[in-house]
Amino acid sequence: MTKTASTQLHADTAIIIPVYNEAEMVGSVIKEIQTKFGNIICVNDGSKDASGKVIVDSGAVLVDHPINLGAGAATQTGIDYALQDPANKYFVTIDADGQHDINDAIRMLAHLKKNSLDIVFGSRFKGTVENISPIKQVFLKLAAVFSTRTTGIALTDPHIGLRVFNRNFAENLKLTLPDFTHASEVIHRVGEGNFKYDEVAASVTYSDYSKAKGQPMLNAINITIDLFFHRISKK
Amino acid sequence: MILIQAILVVGFGIFLFRVLANPASYKLKAWIKVLVALFVVLAIAAVIVPGVTNEIAEFVGVTRGADLLLYMLTMAFIFTIMNGYIQSKKTQEKITTLARRIAINEANLRDFDKQSSK
Repeated sequence: MTKTASTQLHADTAIIIPVYNEAEMVGSVIKEIQTKFGNIICVNDGSKDASGKVIVDSGAVLVDHPINLGAGAATQTGIDYALQDPANKYFVTIDADGQHDINDAIRMLAHLKKNSLDIVFGSRFKGTVENISPIKQVFLKLAAVFSTRTTGIALTDPHIGLRVFNRNFAENLKLTLPDFTHASEVIHRVGEGNFKYDEVAASVTYSDYSKAKGQPMLNAINITIDLFFHRISKK
Repeated sequence: MILIQAILVVGFGIFLFRVLANPASYKLKAWIKVLVALFVVLAIAAVIVPGVTNEIAEFVGVTRGADLLLYMLTMAFIFTIMNGYIQSKKTQEKITTLARRIAINEANLRDFDKQSSK
């Protein structure tokens, strides 16, 4: 795998960004991250817009799904790609729409290393949330209760896209749920493998752009049903 | 034998023949073939002797043979739907693996080209 000059920044860390129709935002998101991290892997998940070209032009690595497979599948592809390089010791997943702050990821990474944890989740409810609708806030809190009940892993914000984890966790993750349900799958893995986890406050900015694109609340029902069936078919 | 009986019997017979003679049925498990054959034989019996469904229905505690058929059809329908759902999930998983392999290979190749053109 290539090590360009800029890879000197956090050379042991791979940033993984699943991208779907984010041509408007992903360029500036990559540029922002490039000031702190050299190794950025963008998985273009069959976008219908110019996301792929924007990624190539930005200088980040492009891994290009020929068809749309879902956010979970894209995340796993990025991890698989990053795992090929033994120099990658740490992995960060972050959304492509600019809602996360890369400085939070740096604090999470430090927390993970200092306490030798396997995974650190960002949490909107430990940090400052800007411009969030009350309905969405209630929905996210309910999701947290549901997740804690079903997995036994206590997280205040299980559906956040910002996570930092080590190589051991990355090798064991193996996401099979293609869609947004993968957030719950990550947490299930933590429980299954007895991985050491923690949460760190992460600020999230809901721009009008990301609000317009955010997953509709009906998805909560889909997620629940899918998880239910997945659990049943596994037995 | 009335016309509808003849048509149905011939229809079921052709169906059974097509299923068993089809080379793809080689992959079907033996017990599924037996079930299909049994099902067709029962269907033909029900067509030739219409009263038999009523008798079976009464035996299992349903008043009419037509009701029994409806229940069984409903069950077969649900089974088919579930089976289709599971099959499509399996296919989806295969496609995901395939697309992922293509994406990673392409990225590695691009990477290799970049290295060698330096």
